[in-house]
Amino acid sequence: MQRLSDKHKLRITMKNAATLFIITCITVSYGYSQARLTDSIAAVKLEEVVVTATRTEKQLGTLTTPVTLITQKQIKALGAVRLTEVLQEQTGLAINNDHGQGIQMQGFDADYTLIMIDGEPLIGRTAGTLALSRIAVNNIKQIEIVKGPSSSLYGSEALAGVINIITHQPKDDLNGGVNVQYGANQTFNVNGKVGFRHKKLAVSLFADSYQSAGYDLTPTMEGATVEPFRNHTFQAKLQYKLNPKFKFSLSGRYFGESQQQKANIGSNSPVIVSGDGTQTDMNIHAVAEHKLTPNVQFKYKLYHTQYSTRSLLRYEQDQSVYDESFFKQKFSRPEVVANYYINKQHFLTLGIGSTLESVEATRYTTQQRFSTLYAFGQHEWTPIKKLSVITGLRFDQHSVYGNQVSPKLSARFQALPWLAVRGSAGVGFKAPDFRQLYLNFSNAVAGYSVFGTQALATGIEQLNSAGQISAVFADISQFQDLKPESSIAYNIGIETRWKSGLNTSINFFRNDVQNLIETQIVARKTNSQSVFSYANLREVFTQGVEFNGSYRLFKNVKLMAGYQYLIAKDKSVVDQLNNGEVFKRDPQTLVTTRVRPAEYGGLFNRSRHMWNVRLFYEHLRKGFNASLRGIYRGRYGLADMNNNQILDTDNEYVAGYWLWNASLSQRLYKELRAQIGVDNLFGFKNATEIPGIAGRLWYIRVSYQWQKSAPGKTL
Amino acid sequence: MTRFSLIFLMVAGVLLTCTACKKEASETVIPPLETKTHKNLAAPGDVVDRATGKVIQENPYVYFSLEKGTTVSKSENWDIGFKGTSIIFNSGISGSGQAGAVIKTGVFEELTTAPESEEFRQDSNEGLAVPAGSNNGWYNYAGPPSHLITPIAGKVIMVKTFDGKYAKVEILSYYKDAPATPDAFKDQSATYTFRYMYQADGSKNLK
Repeated sequence: MQRLSDKHKLRITMKNAATLFIITCITVSYGYSQARLTDSIAAVKLEEVVVTATRTEKQLGTLTTPVTLITQKQIKALGAVRLTEVLQEQTGLAINNDHGQGIQMQGFDADYTLIMIDGEPLIGRTAGTLALSRIAVNNIKQIEIVKGPSSSLYGSEALAGVINIITHQPKDDLNGGVNVQYGANQTFNVNGKVGFRHKKLAVSLFADSYQSAGYDLTPTMEGATVEPFRNHTFQAKLQYKLNPKFKFSLSGRYFGESQQQKANIGSNSPVIVSGDGTQTDMNIHAVAEHKLTPNVQFKYKLYHTQYSTRSLLRYEQDQSVYDESFFKQKFSRPEVVANYYINKQHFLTLGIGSTLESVEATRYTTQQRFSTLYAFGQHEWTPIKKLSVITGLRFDQHSVYGNQVSPKLSARFQALPWLAVRGSAGVGFKAPDFRQLYLNFSNAVAGYSVFGTQALATGIEQLNSAGQISAVFADISQFQDLKPESSIAYNIGIETRWKSGLNTSINFFRNDVQNLIETQIVARKTNSQSVFSYANLREVFTQGVEFNGSYRLFKNVKLMAGYQYLIAKDKSVVDQLNNGEVFKRDPQTLVTTRVRPAEYGGLFNRSRHMWNVRLFYEHLRKGFNASLRGIYRGRYGLADMNNNQILDTDNEYVAGYWLWNASLSQRLYKELRAQIGVDNLFGFKNATEIPGIAGRLWYIRVSYQWQKSAPGKTL
Repeated sequence: MTRFSLIFLMVAGVLLTCTACKKEASETVIPPLETKTHKNLAAPGDVVDRATGKVIQENPYVYFSLEKGTTVSKSENWDIGFKGTSIIFNSGISGSGQAGAVIKTGVFEELTTAPESEEFRQDSNEGLAVPAGSNNGWYNYAGPPSHLITPIAGKVIMVKTFDGKYAKVEILSYYKDAPATPDAFKDQSATYTFRYMYQADGSKNLK
């Protein structure tokens, strides 16, 4: 069931049962801007509504940028428990394993996609990736994925795109639900939600507990591939409608996880260290909405979030401490957003805000803080019904790296009733992170040191006064001016909708990225090891095309397919190759030869081809659903094997692979449902190269939903 | 036109063959220099205490003579010294000879002439002739999880020996027996395999 108002759910079923089959993101397009100052639940809503692309409610079929919408119904059909499982089946997204599972979008690493819950950013990227397994999915109304930069609205991190997780809003009716799921690897998930309204107050509560025994793909080695873990999520939302003009909402979320850790650190004879690692993630969000006039609305928002990790490892032999580390990050943001509906042709969104961030960690000298002041504006222009043009601009003033201007222009034209064209050009950026600014780390074993750009001067000075610096190679003062990484992106797409029930969308994209931050050697120590800091060094590009199609094969069967073609290359490597300056050494014969430009496979960890085929069956009357999904990830570069640091020979690739997932779901009694499923049906494994894939995973789930209509309620 | 072209080609052809003859005739027959490969030169770095970062056991450099093609003692006429990832040359702060080195980018076989004298660097307090550190000189350090040290392909060390003769050196592997897929945890590290060409006559010819 789609998570519209449950009351309307029935009405929709009566009116147009067919609509409920639509699990795709592509639906009826009106080709006309529908931005209006309505409440979140309009009358009968056949059209799916998206908020992330413009910060206002827009019908999916009217957007000027490429957006994927994943509904709650789809999430349920997948039998998914965590966000990672949902996203890995979407076209153009690949799982990125680097200190947690993140998502690769348009060829960008996970660091470059902004992750939000209900429009507010999640934090806690200790090493760049925000682990998506932190997010439970059973209270999600829908997931909105905007591809291409959205820095003109959201600022830093929205460079590759934005993933916004929209959780359920409190509803009018007394409602609730329970899910219990058990599966392979002793994975157990139980969650429940309840919502009600009392007069002007509406409340919804959600709790989720998830635990697993983990798995081990390499039993001969000490420590499991994924160690046992357990986590909890709680979320509460309150809504208070004072009168038609004033609405307040308050929401809070808590996530806490603890996981065992175990490793062998001995080089010859085994030395086992073990302990517990914990992470917590909390946020609180208060919003006041004020409708000043029918055409002007203000939103006052206050958001605070904090994330922390703690890890303690002891030698198993004598329980002495091997390593103790912590990381604490805080983020606060007051923001005011105004929406002004000028007339049918012009709609304006203006916002101003400030973020305050701080971080404390084992590898930072003291607590570090930075702040940003920002303002943004967006103008939506609908000169004729068939055309909409959106212009956006955001200005960020940052306490450390200075000013950043992010413009974006996008448009959509409904050329024919069944054909629409859209295009966008925009600037995205990602601010230097805390590591790049403040890290203060010396590797005791190898003897090298790494300093963030702001910690570099004092770091060098300290090493120097300790007599540990033998030579300084670079002008240290220049490192102070570390610039954000930035991109210029173009997206051009065509959407078609045929009478036969075939819908397609195709999107061409190109991202030119500059000022990528890399480590650079600054000085040499007396132990002849190096001192590193960070500098804007690399330029890369990613380009490709994404295709999505959906087709109703039979009345009850929907077929969806997706494909992405991707090229991502380092521009300086391309230049060096053209100049004949790149070589390779055959690992067997040790003979060195020159690499031809055509041999360059681009950046590591990017698949040139990615496919998916998804089949959904639904028998409404009998309450039966089934799905079969296949996801193909084409071969991608893993590591350099011939001593030139670039991807250029076959043995440097991981072979492409298919994953097949299936699920069956049957209504047993009223809203009591049972679901069984198998992920990775054929048990694909690649222990050494892809440890993130656990092998075949079965699960069974029982869920029960209930609701009581409150009579005489108006919206 | 055609006739002119024909004559031109004929003349050009004769000229070319003549120059070729002349060149061949004037060259004294020099046997091509031999490329030698030295395997498994073990030169462990200092042992560092994991907890404190202090050196608990200092290891000596292992010295190599290009002329002899063997390791030699410090008191003998050595050219290159190895210890861990550090490579030193017999001059400047490292020794009393007149050695020097400079890294060139290219294929070993294609670099057939030693560079001009002023291009050679000596080990000094400002830096080693072959700079230390990952991606800085001859190697790359992969970091976690593999921790591999790999010699960068296409980096050839042009060497001036302790007595001012010329040679070129290409480091091929940092692990014992130069495994095709080395494992930093299993294979013995700091064990060099390299190939080199030594010109005994004092000329810059390294063909």
